[in-house]
Amino acid sequence: MRTVTAYDGRLLARIIHLAHRFGCTYTRAASERTGVAYRMEFAFAGPSDALRRLDAQITKLLDDDKETME
Amino acid sequence: MHTRTGAAIVLDTLESLGVETVFGYPGGAIMPLYDALYDHRLAHVLVRHEAAAVFAASGYARSTGRPGVCVATSGPGATNLITGIVDAMMDNVPVVALTGQVRTTVMGTDAFQEVDVAALTHQVTKRNIVVRSIEELEPALHAAFRLATGSRPGPVLVDLPTDVLRAPEAEPRGAGNESLTSRERPHATAEALDAAVAALLRAKRPVLIAGGGARWSGATEIFRSLAARIGAPVVATLHGLGCPDPDDPAFLGMLGMHGWKRANHAVAKADVIFALGMRFDDRVTGDPAKFARNAHTVVHADIDAAEFDKIVHAHVKLHGDLRETLVALDHRLARVTLPSFARWRESASEPHERLPRDEARDEHLSATDVLDALFAALPGDAIVTTDVGQHQMWAAQRVRASHPNHFLTSGGLGSMGFGLPAAIGAQVAHPGRTVVAIVGDGGFQMSLAELATLRRHDLPVKIVLLDNRNLGMVRQWQELFYNARYSATALPDNPEFTTIARAYGIESRLVDHAGAVPDAIARMLEAPGPLLLHCACYPHENVWPIIPSGKSVDDLMEPVPA
Repeated sequence: MRTVTAYDGRLLARIIHLAHRFGCTYTRAASERTGVAYRMEFAFAGPSDALRRLDAQITKLLDDDKETME
Repeated sequence: MHTRTGAAIVLDTLESLGVETVFGYPGGAIMPLYDALYDHRLAHVLVRHEAAAVFAASGYARSTGRPGVCVATSGPGATNLITGIVDAMMDNVPVVALTGQVRTTVMGTDAFQEVDVAALTHQVTKRNIVVRSIEELEPALHAAFRLATGSRPGPVLVDLPTDVLRAPEAEPRGAGNESLTSRERPHATAEALDAAVAALLRAKRPVLIAGGGARWSGATEIFRSLAARIGAPVVATLHGLGCPDPDDPAFLGMLGMHGWKRANHAVAKADVIFALGMRFDDRVTGDPAKFARNAHTVVHADIDAAEFDKIVHAHVKLHGDLRETLVALDHRLARVTLPSFARWRESASEPHERLPRDEARDEHLSATDVLDALFAALPGDAIVTTDVGQHQMWAAQRVRASHPNHFLTSGGLGSMGFGLPAAIGAQVAHPGRTVVAIVGDGGFQMSLAELATLRRHDLPVKIVLLDNRNLGMVRQWQELFYNARYSATALPDNPEFTTIARAYGIESRLVDHAGAVPDAIARMLEAPGPLLLHCACYPHENVWPIIPSGKSVDDLMEPVPA
């Protein structure tokens, strides 16, 4: 399970699309508005290498998300 | 201070961000912006298709290192941008796309020319922003530019509803003049830098690979200085061309599927690889399991941590801006005594290697002869763009770019129709320079209408059309890998390109035999305006060598002697 904070609520959809592109599936995806941001929870299943690459891409998306809002 | 509209705020903000020119095509929802452009200082280049607007913005960005801006209306205007946006994403090009949108009150009602371009481009931009009010305009544009240029560059789309563009600002004020500031960039750690130095001290056969990161980080100078200090063989990816000095005997040429044999063999034999600002594209690695298979250490430097271990495992990860990383590495190397790699460099250099080629038959012109003559005649600061296909690879094998910004090509996405509009963008950015678009007959016909853009803006782009009356690269693969079943690749009905060019008011010449090439190229380069050089080439010339997709250098193919 990975819990993240994002300003762009659409990232939930982007991350799910990315997971499927990498041959993974999501076993949990939840998002809750908390003030100006969103608290999102994800869990994925898939090949370990794909999960590792997915995790790295999520980190990058969140970095860009943070930069957009700063 | 007069009250500005949202459209005027957009233009003033672009200007404050250093934008001088935008490339675009008008339409309904974006009309308020075009109305404001009518008497604004910002220059506008009218293209003839939105796809050309984004490719031109990309050419501008690739040739300057600064963001390129394109504009399109809602609906089909916006969707026509998407290929170029993906292209910019794949090649890390800072493009800011501005799209008109139906007014906010009808968004979601299937209004005329409404499309949810934000949803469509969500996966293929670094970020997109739908502006919902006039107050959001300036912050959105600042964020777009910051994001497009920051970290690993890429495209950002800003969607502009027409009512936001028409709205008056509540409190009149002048345009801001803010500079772009990005979040603090990562820096390679001291431990990783020490490990890189240690790998080099242990190395017997190191190779440096220059990638496209060199362009965007401005690392060319430090790369060359570092390469000279190390004295190892140097190769480049397609986007790394121009980073190594083409006159450096240690430079072995392009790596990969159509790279030089010596470059691919050097990487295969290397015991230490320095992969500098590259992403191990499949056109570079072939079979990743066999790529650099003798390397006990791969040192990978990149701004994007997601690239580490994506394709090839890196033993040492230098996470940071490439230029800063190489400067730090250079400082460390200045304090140690490196082993000499002269013997390895000489054995890898194969100075007498020539690119294998088919011989043109029946007195036909060879496309590679044309390119050899062209590159011999071009001034050192010329900017060359290509389209996609055989001519692109022939050019990449031969180009002697003295800087990465001098060779612009669609690498990751491989978008046909890129070459001419990218040249337009480069020529707008560099009005005094020689800009040459090398195109094939397939891709050129995807961008023909941009001849009108050349004429309208009097841009002296030189077009070298290598016409083999085929979709040559696909034809070549059909010949080699599909039992010569030539499905939908012959173009025997090509038009008279010289006549078409003249119809657009563009000077044109036809060359169909080798003897006429040098003079035709010299006259083309002397021409003050745009010119199309139509080269009627031998139709079955292939690109050699070729490493078949997913294979290794062991499977490298060369032409069979007649």
